[in-house]
Amino acid sequence: MYFEVNDKQVFATTGGKPFDNSKPVIVFLHGSGLDQTFWGLHTRFFAFRGYSVLALANPGHTHSEGPPLESIEDLGEWVNDVLVALDVDDASIVAHSQGCLIALEFASRYPDKIKSLSLITSGLATPVNDFLLKAAESDPTTAVNMMVGWGFGSAGHLHQGPIPGNSMAGGGFKVMFGNSPTALATDLHACNNYQNGKTAAAAVQCPVQVLIAGKDKMAPAKATAQLVEHLNNPQVIRFPESGHMVPLEVPNQCRLVLRDFIFANHPAG
Amino acid sequence: MSKFLNFDTLSLHAGQTIDPVFGARAAPIYQTTSYVFPDTDTASSIFNLERGGHAYTRITNPTVGVLEQRIAALEGGSAAVCTSSGMAATFCAITAILSQGDHIVASSQMYGGNISLMKNTLPRFGITASFFDPTDIDACKAAIQDNTKLIYGELIGNPGLDILDLEAIADIGAEHNIPFMVDATFNTPYLCRPFEHGANITIHSVTKWMGGHGMAIGGVVVDGGNFDWGATDKYPTITVPYAPFQGINLWEEFGPSAFATRIRAEAMRDIGPSMAPMNAFLLLQGLETLSLRMDKHISNTLQLIEYLENHEQVTWVSHPSMSSHSSHELAQKYLPKGAGSIVGFGVKGGRDAGRAFIEACDLASHLANVGDAKTLIIHPATTTHSRIDADALVAAGITEDMIRLSVGLEDVQDIMADFDNGFRAAKRVAGG
Repeated sequence: MYFEVNDKQVFATTGGKPFDNSKPVIVFLHGSGLDQTFWGLHTRFFAFRGYSVLALANPGHTHSEGPPLESIEDLGEWVNDVLVALDVDDASIVAHSQGCLIALEFASRYPDKIKSLSLITSGLATPVNDFLLKAAESDPTTAVNMMVGWGFGSAGHLHQGPIPGNSMAGGGFKVMFGNSPTALATDLHACNNYQNGKTAAAAVQCPVQVLIAGKDKMAPAKATAQLVEHLNNPQVIRFPESGHMVPLEVPNQCRLVLRDFIFANHPAG
Repeated sequence: MSKFLNFDTLSLHAGQTIDPVFGARAAPIYQTTSYVFPDTDTASSIFNLERGGHAYTRITNPTVGVLEQRIAALEGGSAAVCTSSGMAATFCAITAILSQGDHIVASSQMYGGNISLMKNTLPRFGITASFFDPTDIDACKAAIQDNTKLIYGELIGNPGLDILDLEAIADIGAEHNIPFMVDATFNTPYLCRPFEHGANITIHSVTKWMGGHGMAIGGVVVDGGNFDWGATDKYPTITVPYAPFQGINLWEEFGPSAFATRIRAEAMRDIGPSMAPMNAFLLLQGLETLSLRMDKHISNTLQLIEYLENHEQVTWVSHPSMSSHSSHELAQKYLPKGAGSIVGFGVKGGRDAGRAFIEACDLASHLANVGDAKTLIIHPATTTHSRIDADALVAAGITEDMIRLSVGLEDVQDIMADFDNGFRAAKRVAGG
């Protein structure tokens, strides 16, 4: 669905059910260069089990009007603006990669508005190497290749996928290439510049879980350990065989973990 | 892994998850109609497209799934759906996005079955087509109507062998927000990947070079994932909530694989042109050696062209690799590794001499197929294209004396010796 936030059109998938703010709300936040379709194997599940789901396309990403926002802090505020625009009092948040940094900012700034927080494959910060930053600015094809190449584990490189006939890596390429050329570059700069992770993590008050991938090249073990260390008693779940794209690479296991956590901390009905 | 796997590696490994119970190295044949659900929640989740999984082999099957993901990988697409034949793939792909009152702009140089589908069958359901000369880009542009929802063509036209200018036609499609669907059977992903040149959907008869052994019929539709279905209101089957799946909006929820998902959710469920698991297994065996075979097909083709060009009983030879061919430049651009292994030629003495040639050949098989490991010959005007009218024959580049040769993998000297026998017989009929 489309709706307006700060005079800009925002697009979100609602999982096949009309958005209804009288139900418990789950907001899904995607990572750098991606969009709402990243959550396709999770949104319908919750939408058909009593939740109202919002899988957002960040500003300037595929169907959401641009430009992309330039800082994680601005994106954290934008999440609040989304909830205000839709008259939502509070929500659970499920976030991946860059989305986790955004979620940390939102959760630390608006502790009364978040019921539970699920952070998938992220550290407290996401430093980006110079070559990738420059490629994102001037050579998007190379940048997308690097993102997809590092993002997926071996299953992605073999073009496997949880949906019969679908190549998850092929889909990832198409989403990233379909985005505006500035989206990925802006995202990566926002990640690289973000410094407030420790403070934001320490300020999170809601129940929080951290999902860690054993073969993650983008949020390696050292980075995720720092995130776990600075959060208040997080539930930690590990997926030893997955790469960075846990919601795509091991969707059934990921969904079960999210389900148990959200059902317990933010029950529907 | 951070670097991507290359073509030959994908041909062998893509799409296959090693069997977790026995560790079978080959893709197992899941010869089953249906699948036991672990619980009711999982069952309902699969039916509601909340998760991937198999419910019934008419819609998905694990062996077929390996082939689909392997072809999607080789083609550079986001998803693929295998079908019982190439024609089923074409029908499913067209009807996934076109309905009564819609229009196709199609190349006139196509397999007779494709032409008949668009001239005779689809009009019964209110879908019409205009045909353009594949060498005339302006004609393609001029054929676009307000209700045109698809541009369609074979990259290497069958059997005239003219090459579609993919990028020029893709530009026309992009300008009008119309997807460009390419039948890429004759080139396979080894010789050309049409998505890299702007095409949005590809169709293959997997029966042909991909399988290569002539043992199994099959087709595939590959979703390029690169068409913005939401940029226009012309494609409601993709962008409007689909009632049979609780109002799912495929474009919103499946993005780059929305088109493939529509075929899976509608055509495979409501029509059911499924590929058999055994066929998928056989076709996978062929696909594993695609590049090796294609290189040999091309090598044999080039040697046979030289042989035919120099034979006194041959009146003409046509192949896009020849500098005399009208599509030679396009072939060099889009098919640098080789312009396929179909050759057209004429036998001195016309139709009767051609018939004598075909009947005198022993090694080359006289049959209605292409892309087999074995060399094949046929007279298109009286067989594969016999159901289209005289004007369409001319538009398709077919003459009365034309013999279509599908070059196989035999020792090329043996093919030449076989043809020598054929030409001796033809000479007796032609006289002189």
